[in-house]
Amino acid sequence: MTIAADDRRLNNMPRTEQTAVERRDRMFGWLIASPSLGLLFLVILFPVFWALYTSVHDYTLIAPNFDTFNGIDNYTKALGDPEFRHTLWLTAFFVAAVVLLEFALGFLVALMLNSVERFKAIYYAILLCPLLMNPVIVGLIWRMFLHPSLGIVNYLLSLVGIDPVNWLGSTKVALWTIVMVDIWHQVSFMIVLLLAGLSALPREPYEAARVDGASALRSFWHITLPLMLPVIAVTLLIRLIFAVKTYDLVYIMTRGGPGVATDLVSYFIYRTAFVGLNIGEASAMSAILLAVIMGLTVWLHRYMRSLT
Amino acid sequence: MASISLSNIHKFYPNGYAAVRDVSLDIKDGEFMILLGPSGCGKSTTLRMIAGLETISKGDLHIGGARMNDIDPADRDVAIVFQNYALYPHMTVIDNLSFGLRLRGVGRSIIDQRVANIADMLGIGELLSRKPAQLSGGQRQRVALGRALVREPKAFLLDEPLSNLDAKLRSAMRTELIKLHRTLGTTIVHVTHDQVEAMTMGERICIMKDGVIVQVGAPMEVYRNPVNTFVAGFLASPPMNLLRGRLSAQSLSLDGTVLALPPALGQAFADHAERDVIAGMRPEDFHLKADAAASTVPVEVHAVTTEVLGPEVILVATVSGEQGAEIHIRCPRDFRAKPGEIVIFHYDVSQLQLFDPETTYALKRPVQI
Ligand SMILES: Nc1ncnc2c1ncn2[C@@H]1O[C@H](COP(=O)(O)OP(=O)(O)OP(=O)(O)O)[C@@H](O)[C@H]1O
Ligand SMILES: [Mg+2]
Repeated sequence: MTIAADDRRLNNMPRTEQTAVERRDRMFGWLIASPSLGLLFLVILFPVFWALYTSVHDYTLIAPNFDTFNGIDNYTKALGDPEFRHTLWLTAFFVAAVVLLEFALGFLVALMLNSVERFKAIYYAILLCPLLMNPVIVGLIWRMFLHPSLGIVNYLLSLVGIDPVNWLGSTKVALWTIVMVDIWHQVSFMIVLLLAGLSALPREPYEAARVDGASALRSFWHITLPLMLPVIAVTLLIRLIFAVKTYDLVYIMTRGGPGVATDLVSYFIYRTAFVGLNIGEASAMSAILLAVIMGLTVWLHRYMRSLT
Repeated sequence: MASISLSNIHKFYPNGYAAVRDVSLDIKDGEFMILLGPSGCGKSTTLRMIAGLETISKGDLHIGGARMNDIDPADRDVAIVFQNYALYPHMTVIDNLSFGLRLRGVGRSIIDQRVANIADMLGIGELLSRKPAQLSGGQRQRVALGRALVREPKAFLLDEPLSNLDAKLRSAMRTELIKLHRTLGTTIVHVTHDQVEAMTMGERICIMKDGVIVQVGAPMEVYRNPVNTFVAGFLASPPMNLLRGRLSAQSLSLDGTVLALPPALGQAFADHAERDVIAGMRPEDFHLKADAAASTVPVEVHAVTTEVLGPEVILVATVSGEQGAEIHIRCPRDFRAKPGEIVIFHYDVSQLQLFDPETTYALKRPVQI
């Protein structure tokens, strides 16, 4: 075992200086990346810092200036506002519902499609259709479909003897209606990503498992799931972040109503800023939301890492 | 433990390619069977059909007397070592080894003990907590072998399980497998390219070519009596020299060189006198000294080059002048010859094999002279 010992000693040696080649490669990397980095800075980092700066000032559209610094006032006010807290909880519920339902449904469909041999391209094309639509259009279409008296959905339900449902006007139903439309719109995203992951899985371990005596269910549990974890993690993360930002559907279909039944946080922040004209407080809310999303992302990433 | 019987088995892949054609083979309970053949001849396909990973297009497979064509791989109770290892990439070595046992509900303590034994035998005890990606090719191969061995199934199907090991480890593993077979007595089907493995490990060798079985027999039997020029040219290294020639009543002429045949041999081949033949001469049947008892005849060759292997020297030489056909001759380790040098060998004609140049099959020959 002298060779192994040598290896260990080598690994423990202090990191050597960068060679000239490494340094040149690094410089070249920065050079190539700099235009897009600059653009990113301009369109992402700058607005973020501007919003953070605004969030500690009394900045309204009536008095749009940075004259009054008010520290964390905007933050305490936002967090103390029961309506803001309500939208946070509502958004958490909405996000959990769409992400979990879309994941379950998406994984199921992806697994089925993965074992399909023929016409795969056609299924793909059909699946991609909703994804290609603008959310505003999705909202408009569904608003028409779901119209209490003129919509096709209630008409179809009446054919099988179900009473008309007030899809968007009932406080009990409206949020679930948004969830349903979001699933219709976004589930293909899950399917496509998960399907790509599934079709990239190696075939051999499954053969080994069959000979080792694993049923289809156990192969799924012991091989597919663990091997898919990285893909699942990324898919969930992306969906989660996008779901938190949901705004268009609410704007088009319910305007946060009835009452505050569908008042998701993005829509509420928009209202605070451009209806309530209070940019400072809206910026504070955005900062809080950003912190929550970042926290969630880090946690999910860590958690998924710990599983693999 | 179980016998494995293949009757008229065919495999047509979905693209229509007939990878295995009309293969019939009876592997006895507890037998160590070698599958030998050039790349692409259908060895892996045959093995995978026995394991149940490929459907059998035609024919019947019986394991332990029961028809297995439509039985799930899990219920055949065989273990396979895949040519490409097929380890579970996300599991540690120890989980790879124990997965099959855990699936079958074997108790924790028994699993631990068996895994420890196998890991010890294969020398992978220090790798147990690593993932396959952190192993070298040879280490992966040993884990793949271990995963099969630890199961203690009715039969082992080994697809080139030693191909990626260095010479020393390979020879050690060879011995281990032979010992294991002796103690467990499990039926083993072992696919290999390796001449030494083929000759030393198996009780019988099955030689395949282009999806069909060419010859089945005990190693020495196949070695001594290859049924055709393919087997003659495939088995052993260097293989049998195959030279075109003409047979007459008492002699064999090889493009100018005439070998006198002893009367007994001439008699045996009398039916084939006065016809073209392919003469098969093993490299080890050429001797430097005449041996009266072994009915040797002198052969003059022109040295081309020598390959010094250590324990022996392989002489590449031509018969019948410098433009003649090339042959390989196994010589003692201190033999030396310069290129172009003429050397006289004494060929033991009692070992001569004759083949029909048209069919490539062996001409009838007395077994003992
Ligand atoms: N899925 C497949 N579809 C079509 N043809 C195949 C398929 N798998 C293998 N073949 C063909 O079947 C033949 C036998 O393949 P097989 O893997 O059994 O060869 P082998 O004897 O194991 O070769 P090697 O020694 O190189 O491993 C080959 O010609 C191969 O190209
Ligand atoms: Mg093979």
